[in-house]
Amino acid sequence: MFSQSVIHDVITAALATGGDFAEVFVEDRFTNSLALQSGKIESSLSGRDYGIGIRVFKGLQSVYAYTTDGSKEGLLKAAGNAAQAIRGEKIIQPAQLQKEIIPAGHPISLNPREVEKLRKVDVMKKAYEIAKNYHSSIQQVTVRYLDEEQNVLIANSEGKFVEDRRVRSRLAIQSIAAEGNQMQPGFYGPGAHKGFEFMENLNLEHYANEASRIAVTMLGADPCPSGKFPVIIDNEFGGVIFHEACGHGLEATSVAKENSVFANRIGEKVASDVVTYIDDGTLANEWGSITIDDEGEKARKNVLIENGILKGYLIDKFGGRRMGMASTGSGRRQSYRFAPTSRMTNTYIANGKSTPEEIVSNTEYGIYTKYMGGGQVNTTTGDYNFAVMEAYLVKDGKIGKPLKGATLIGNGPKTLQLVDMVGNNLDHGAGMCGSQSGSIPVNVGQPMIRVSEMTVGGTKGGE
Amino acid sequence: MNLQEFKEKLFQLGGQHGFTDMELYYEREEKFACELFKGVIDSYDTSEVFGTSFRGLYEGRMGYAFTEKLDEESLSFLIENAKENSQFIEDEVQEEIFAGSDKYESGSYYSSSLAEVTIHEKINLLKEIEKHIYAYDERVTGTDYFMLRSGETERVLLNSKGLNLSEKNNHAGIYVSVIVKQGDQVKNGEYSKFTRDFSILNPEEIAKHAVEEALSQLNARSAESKNYPVLLRNDAASALLQTYNSIFSAENTQKGQSALKGKTGEVIAAASLNIADDPFLEEGLLSSNFDSEGVATARKDIVKDGRLVTLMHNRKTAQKDGVESTGNAYKASYKGALTVAPTNLYVNPSNQSYDELVSSLSEGIIITELSGLHSGANTVSGDFSIAANGFYVKDGNVQNAVNQMTIAGNFYELLKNIEAIGSDLEFSMGFMATGYIGSPSLLIRELAVTVE
Repeated sequence: MFSQSVIHDVITAALATGGDFAEVFVEDRFTNSLALQSGKIESSLSGRDYGIGIRVFKGLQSVYAYTTDGSKEGLLKAAGNAAQAIRGEKIIQPAQLQKEIIPAGHPISLNPREVEKLRKVDVMKKAYEIAKNYHSSIQQVTVRYLDEEQNVLIANSEGKFVEDRRVRSRLAIQSIAAEGNQMQPGFYGPGAHKGFEFMENLNLEHYANEASRIAVTMLGADPCPSGKFPVIIDNEFGGVIFHEACGHGLEATSVAKENSVFANRIGEKVASDVVTYIDDGTLANEWGSITIDDEGEKARKNVLIENGILKGYLIDKFGGRRMGMASTGSGRRQSYRFAPTSRMTNTYIANGKSTPEEIVSNTEYGIYTKYMGGGQVNTTTGDYNFAVMEAYLVKDGKIGKPLKGATLIGNGPKTLQLVDMVGNNLDHGAGMCGSQSGSIPVNVGQPMIRVSEMTVGGTKGGE
Repeated sequence: MNLQEFKEKLFQLGGQHGFTDMELYYEREEKFACELFKGVIDSYDTSEVFGTSFRGLYEGRMGYAFTEKLDEESLSFLIENAKENSQFIEDEVQEEIFAGSDKYESGSYYSSSLAEVTIHEKINLLKEIEKHIYAYDERVTGTDYFMLRSGETERVLLNSKGLNLSEKNNHAGIYVSVIVKQGDQVKNGEYSKFTRDFSILNPEEIAKHAVEEALSQLNARSAESKNYPVLLRNDAASALLQTYNSIFSAENTQKGQSALKGKTGEVIAAASLNIADDPFLEEGLLSSNFDSEGVATARKDIVKDGRLVTLMHNRKTAQKDGVESTGNAYKASYKGALTVAPTNLYVNPSNQSYDELVSSLSEGIIITELSGLHSGANTVSGDFSIAANGFYVKDGNVQNAVNQMTIAGNFYELLKNIEAIGSDLEFSMGFMATGYIGSPSLLIRELAVTVE
């Protein structure tokens, strides 16, 4: 993308006013996104994002400048703009750049850029037909297809010079079931750090049928009761609860300034004994996986909580400065338009010992959530909320009637202590996570778990 | 390659490849953002970026492609991809390249005095605000974000039918979230303000708003979970309307994603409700003279005395419904496909003050903040169950803050159950919002409230 000598000059310019660290991030990204509605392709977009981000640190000050101007002059101008924010004399010379060759951690066998769009359209139409034909009450199906190839170059004043190619593919199916005035959606959005081979091997029957089954089931569901109940959260995307309740609070973004409820608590018991929580960017070809992060650090497996004890945080370079800790390979960003910060990759609760059957049969009365929607957390207070896509009443150890319109609210640190059973059926689900450095692909995961008490906000009122 | 040169080469290459009508949309942005933490500039972002998107008619179908690099490789990239993309489009009504409206308003939404505010002045403003934040109350322990953002955007629309439109606008905004601590209670309070008039950013007032908001959340108690009359404070009301404004889009009614299909002319809300979309508001952040396909924008009533007057349209949705475009064509950025979105959309204020609305409640809940709107609100069915913060009111007086709650109901029913509208119109804009949305406080007859 750029020669080492150009990058060296840019880093030197960025350090001219006394910065003690400088970094260049170059991105050239090709994307295709298609949308199919009512059986017809409604939009097909292709594009190329291209830009450069330059970051300079001086102590606990961070400056970021970005531009779409890829000429050497453009880069030097952006470096100058960044340097301008720091007032002082030059204090360091950049180290000599050393090109690092990192073997691709997530091999791609079929680059989507080399695949005819017609084949992509075929996959979408197949998914549409399956979802549409699931049931007569399915009124509408939307299928979205996305692929991207992101090429990055990351170099810094410590001598790092590394390139990476990230290829991702995702298919999102939304079904809407309708009857009278009632409309209910169902959604499934599998994705991977893979090329078009992901689409070719995808079990379309499963995902498209599930999206429609959720919508149809919820159409016939009763309004969810409100109140405090034991809640069983099923595996895979159910892990979004810990992503919100705990994961965000372990990011340096909030820990470094001691704003997080988890700050300064390494070694303390923050969760019940059955909880082990891990962030692992190295899982082969998963949606949230990375070979290197957006600061050029190798992906790794970070154990955050082990048997209830807080073991570590997710740390980027800048957050690490304030904390006096090293990067954990967690610096990520949506694009060159964002400075990186500490983020999750594939985060999950490790398997426990209970079988899903044991968890259900040991629950006298409560709520079972099969699929979760999205959520949000306030990392300062730890208060979180999230929507339930598909829920059921549990009575006398059996899963009963479906319930719609449930929202779960609670406080992260408290909920962690109330996890009383962890299943043995760990699985992962794909999602997009939005935070300071933009929207990035992450996996959430867990086996089935039970929380002894959660507040359920439903449309039916108190019970 | 400059834009003019790029356009000429692109249209020439497009013509050679069989494109009949073509459009190039260009956006250039300059942005500045600065974050302060305890007297130190914690982050400082500056940027200058542009992007272009090509839209062209090939064998009667519209193909799209975009790029952020104006080079030879991008020329062929745009043409080849747009051509391939056009081949799959199967919509019964096709988009067209628009030759232009008869007349465009000439409002200016670019403040040269804002453009002249220096970075130094911006940082000083942050420092002033921060001083007031810490001085206001000793329970303030920090901020979890505190930043100023400013930016200017230039949009240019050029097409092969001779249309050549351009516009510039700018704005600045303060976002702050203050943390307060009392005993083992930790709470935060948010406040944001956007403007094109830098002089109205009063440090003392901004600090006071944010700190008071945080302090008011202390000593929260539980309350009985049941149905209450709910007063949605102006900022919470506009956040809810932000989430649900898509129901007024004809694109959504046509896709079966809004229940307002065929309801034009019918009563859909309380008789006191009036909603307008006004692209010419002087302080409106999304004020503009032309929309994303070059149609002249216009002020319009969406809801008048509780009746749905019109949906929002672009040219394609208008053609499907047999009406005229309302000038609401929208692209999320130059990259996106054309869709439909409001400009500055707001609920008309009435004459009761916020305090009068509070005193009118014999028992009720005030909602000051909603969170998880992106997941807890079903924009298709209108059902919502959303996390909320606020206060308990008894005999017309605020008694205490309430632990985290959920409020649940249905937006279409909520519109009909508006009992009173405040005089305190306030606009808000989310980070990833479509539309600059405003509302006064709204008193809702009843919603299901569950308290933690």
